[in-house]
Order: sequence, then structure tokens, then C-alpha cells
Amino acid sequence: MIKDEISQVLTVAAYEVRKYLRSRRLIGMVVILGLIIGLILGLPPALGSKYPSQPNNFVGTFAGFTGILVILCGTLFAADALVSEHEKRTGYFLFPNPVRRDVLVLGKLLASLFTSAAVLTLYYLVATIAALAATGAASWEIGLSYAYALAYTGAVVGIAYVLSSVLRSTVAATVLTFFLFLLIFNIIGALLFVGKVDPWFIPTSASGIISNVLAPPSEGPPGPFRQFVPDAATSLLVFAAYFVAGSILSILMFRRRELSS
Amino acid sequence: MAARPSGPNGFPVQLAALGKDYGHFTALKALDLSVHPGVSLGFLGPNGAGKSTTIKIMTNLIRPTRGQATLFDIDVRRDPIRALSRVGAVIETPEFYGYLSPLETLAYAGRLRGMARKDIRARSEEVLKEVRMGEWAGRRIQEFSKGMKQRLAIAQALLHEPDLLILDEPTSGLDPRGMAEIRDLIKSLTGRGRTVFMSSHLLGEVQEVCDEVALLNHGELLVQGSVRDLSRGSGASTFQATFLAPPSEEDLSTLASTPGVQALKRVGDGAVDFTITGGEAAQAEVLEAMVRRGMRVTSYRPLGSPLEQLYLDRIQESDRI
Repeated sequence: MIKDEISQVLTVAAYEVRKYLRSRRLIGMVVILGLIIGLILGLPPALGSKYPSQPNNFVGTFAGFTGILVILCGTLFAADALVSEHEKRTGYFLFPNPVRRDVLVLGKLLASLFTSAAVLTLYYLVATIAALAATGAASWEIGLSYAYALAYTGAVVGIAYVLSSVLRSTVAATVLTFFLFLLIFNIIGALLFVGKVDPWFIPTSASGIISNVLAPPSEGPPGPFRQFVPDAATSLLVFAAYFVAGSILSILMFRRRELSS
Repeated sequence: MAARPSGPNGFPVQLAALGKDYGHFTALKALDLSVHPGVSLGFLGPNGAGKSTTIKIMTNLIRPTRGQATLFDIDVRRDPIRALSRVGAVIETPEFYGYLSPLETLAYAGRLRGMARKDIRARSEEVLKEVRMGEWAGRRIQEFSKGMKQRLAIAQALLHEPDLLILDEPTSGLDPRGMAEIRDLIKSLTGRGRTVFMSSHLLGEVQEVCDEVALLNHGELLVQGSVRDLSRGSGASTFQATFLAPPSEEDLSTLASTPGVQALKRVGDGAVDFTITGGEAAQAEVLEAMVRRGMRVTSYRPLGSPLEQLYLDRIQESDRI
């Protein structure tokens, strides 16, 4: 039984990845990746400035864009995964098969994580190769930053799945996922910080660890725009909590949701 | 051909006091219904009668508020995986993933059902040919019309050679030729011992394809029985007689007193509609009465099928209540 269900999870995941490939979302994401890399590598010579001489500082520029890349991955590869089965009525084909809803969510989750991880892997691979070429060295902190980015992806995907399991339209799920991480969490984090509450539990605050591990920020004057970043262990725990809670919640919501449209 | 084996109680489908409420609206009251193995049951009713709600509960798309739906003695709610393993279903006109081809879609369904790759390939080609989609097997579904998607839906329902087919308006979206082909296909499936549970609002279709009929309105079962029995046992039938010359008032008053004539109505100059009770004997009696009076009958035919009459009568009666 469990063997059958693992096989079903892998089948669902494989077809989801195929969806991302054929719907050109993955290609679109790679194009965005290319643009970011092109700007990071092309702008300094074009402006007559030099690349950083230290590998951590060099990859730190790349890491500054990792947060937005992770948000884009969550938006493109997770936000509509569940809601689209209801809205686009493909559930009428999928759900009458002898497969548990939990299996469907797990398969889709696996595909979202795999596709997002593939994008981040490509990004960090290019960054590391570029760092080696420009500075002649690489560092273990680059690997650590990559690992934190993967953990942050888990948190983003987990929350995206909760939204996808409760909202009624793919557009709402996609837009809300994007702006939740791009704006809403940041605003909440800033307000908490101003109110002298450390926003360690806000995932976007915790995501600061992705850059901080490479190039810790210099102490600036306190103010609403100074970002609070919890330590690495807390950040990882926050990411894990959002991923686990998001996955469980989305499974429960998707299991309860009726296909009655 | 003998019906395929079902559960110990012998019913591939058994619905017991099945009900569904949406807030204050009751879509299904307390439906009791059984389908014997190898039988094709037409699930008839007007829009909003509760047909789709019943089918969605049977296929685990929605939960019942009360009662139980069992397929091959397995409660769909408690163990949907086992209950649906011998079932093929077409619900409404499903959408498919536009980025896949029919072959890939069938491979997806087959793999979810645990079929071997070799079997999936062989069966896919077979069922696509059966629904006349063979030449489209490798094309992306995003290019397909509604009718083509409906054919694919039927193909995926047949892929694993299910013992029970649950079809919700299976000919919806098809052109007349397509409808006829799908009807023939369903008839051939029952001939091969499969049980079919088919919802439709097309009486002619049900009469042609099904052995039994269950009539539903306002979430309640009005009648269930074999198409033959219900056709025979229907109360009143409407017949239209046309004459060479318009009948006189005296002719009409004589005919109105003929046993079995419940009502009659002049339709234009040379035609009269009769509402006749008492079955075929009474219908013959009316014809004989016309001939005895020397009325020159050019045609005498039923308006609509007996089943249609039964349908309309029962629905009207149920609407009045």
C-alpha cells in the first residue's frame, strides 16, 4: 500500500514538473535568472568598477537577489498547484481516480520543491563558477547560503500551498503569494521592529540569513528600514515550522474541500 | 454475457438514505437506490434534480450530509481508494491538462491506478480507437473541442476495464453522430457484462441505452424500474389522429365517451389529440371507435414515448407537491 502511494506521489510529481516545463514557466524563470546574472556580471565592467575580490562578497551580490528568486519560484511553481484543480475543473479527471488527496498534495509539493531547487541550484552554480573565475576562490559560506535559500524555499512553498488550498481563484492565490512575501511580511516585520518586537518569526526577516552568512551587514543607524535578521538556527527553525505547518494545513484543507463547481 | 462479479450483497451500486444539504438548500433528500450487476441504469431527472450531486458523492468529489454510498460493498466515504478501484467515471465534461496529449493523459491515469506501462500503452491505443480519437493520440489537448474532450473522458473511464461505469451526461457536447457512437459504445459495454450508471436528461438516449430507469426530482426518487415495465405501465398516453376530413362535433363527443379516453382536443382542422388511459387495449379501442363511425383516419400515432409521458406526469406531480 505504502509502496503504491509512494509510486503515486512520484507520478503526480513527474507530471507536475512536466507542466512547469511545457507551460514555459520554467523557461521564463530561467530567462529571469539569466537577466539577473547578466546584470550582476555585466554592470560592474560597464560602469568601470571592479568585481569584489573576496568570494563571499562576490557571491553576496548574487545572494541579495535570492529572496526575490525564491518568491518568484513560490509564485510560479506552487501558488496555483491546488486551486487550479478546482478552478480549471481538471479535478473532475484527477479526483475520481483511486488516489488519496494527501498523495496528490505531496506529489505536487515535491514537484514545486524540486523545480524551485533546480532554479536555485543553477543560480548558485553560476554564482560559484563566476566567483572562482573572478576571485580565484570559493568558500563554504556559499554552500551555506545555498542551503539557507533552499530552506527558505520550503517556507515560501508551504505558505503558497496553504493559500492554494483555501482560495477559489488561481489569480488570487498567485497575487497574494507574491505580495505576501514581497510586501506584506516585510511591512509587518518593519512595524514589529519599530514597536521594539524582534520579528524573528517572520519568514522574510529570517531570509536575511541567506545574505548575512556571506557578508554580514555593517551596523547602521536604527530605524524602520533596518532589517532584523535572527540567527541561523532560529531562521532554520522558522523556515522548517512554516514548511511543516503549511504542508499539513494544505493537506487538511485540500482533503476537506469539495469539488462542486 | 454474464455480469462481472460484485460484492456479497450483489450490488455494484447501493445508495442508502443518501442526502446532501448545501446550507439551507437540500440537494438530495434520502435517496435509496440499488443497481444490479450487468444492468445499465439511466438516472433521469430535470436540471437541479440531484443527479450530479448523487454522482459526485459516488465518486468522492463531495461528502454526503447523511446516508451512505457503497460501490461493490465498499463505503465510498470510508475507503474511496478501494471503492473507486473498479470504477471508471465521466463527470460533467472534465477538463484535461492542456499541455498533455491523450496518450500522456491516459498514461497518467493508468499509472495512478497502478497499471503496468505495457498495459497502459496497449489499452490506451485500444480505447482511443474505440472513441475515435486514435488520430489525435499524440496532439496536445489544448487544441481540442468540447466534444473531443468528452470522447477522451470516456476513453480514460474505460482504460482500466472497470466493472462499473459512472457517466454523467456522457453525450454532452457531442454532435449527433458522436452521440450515436457513444450510445453504441455504452450498449456494447453492457453487452460485455459491465454495470453502467448513467445520468441524462435525454429520455430517448436512456430508452435506447439502458435496461432500467430511476427518475429523480427535487432530490427524491420518484420511480425506479425496467424501461420495458415503466413504458408499459405508464398511466396516460397522448395519441394524435389525423383525418381526411375534419371531424364533426358529434364525432368528437362520441369519441370522448369511448372507454379509456380521458380528454381530447381538436388540433387544427383535420387532427385530434387524445389522452388515453388503459394501455394498448384502450388505444386500439379508440381507433376502432373512429373507424366504426366512418371517420377516415389517415394517421394514428403516439405523441412522445410512453416513458416520456411517465416522466412528464411524475415530474409534474412532484412539482405540484
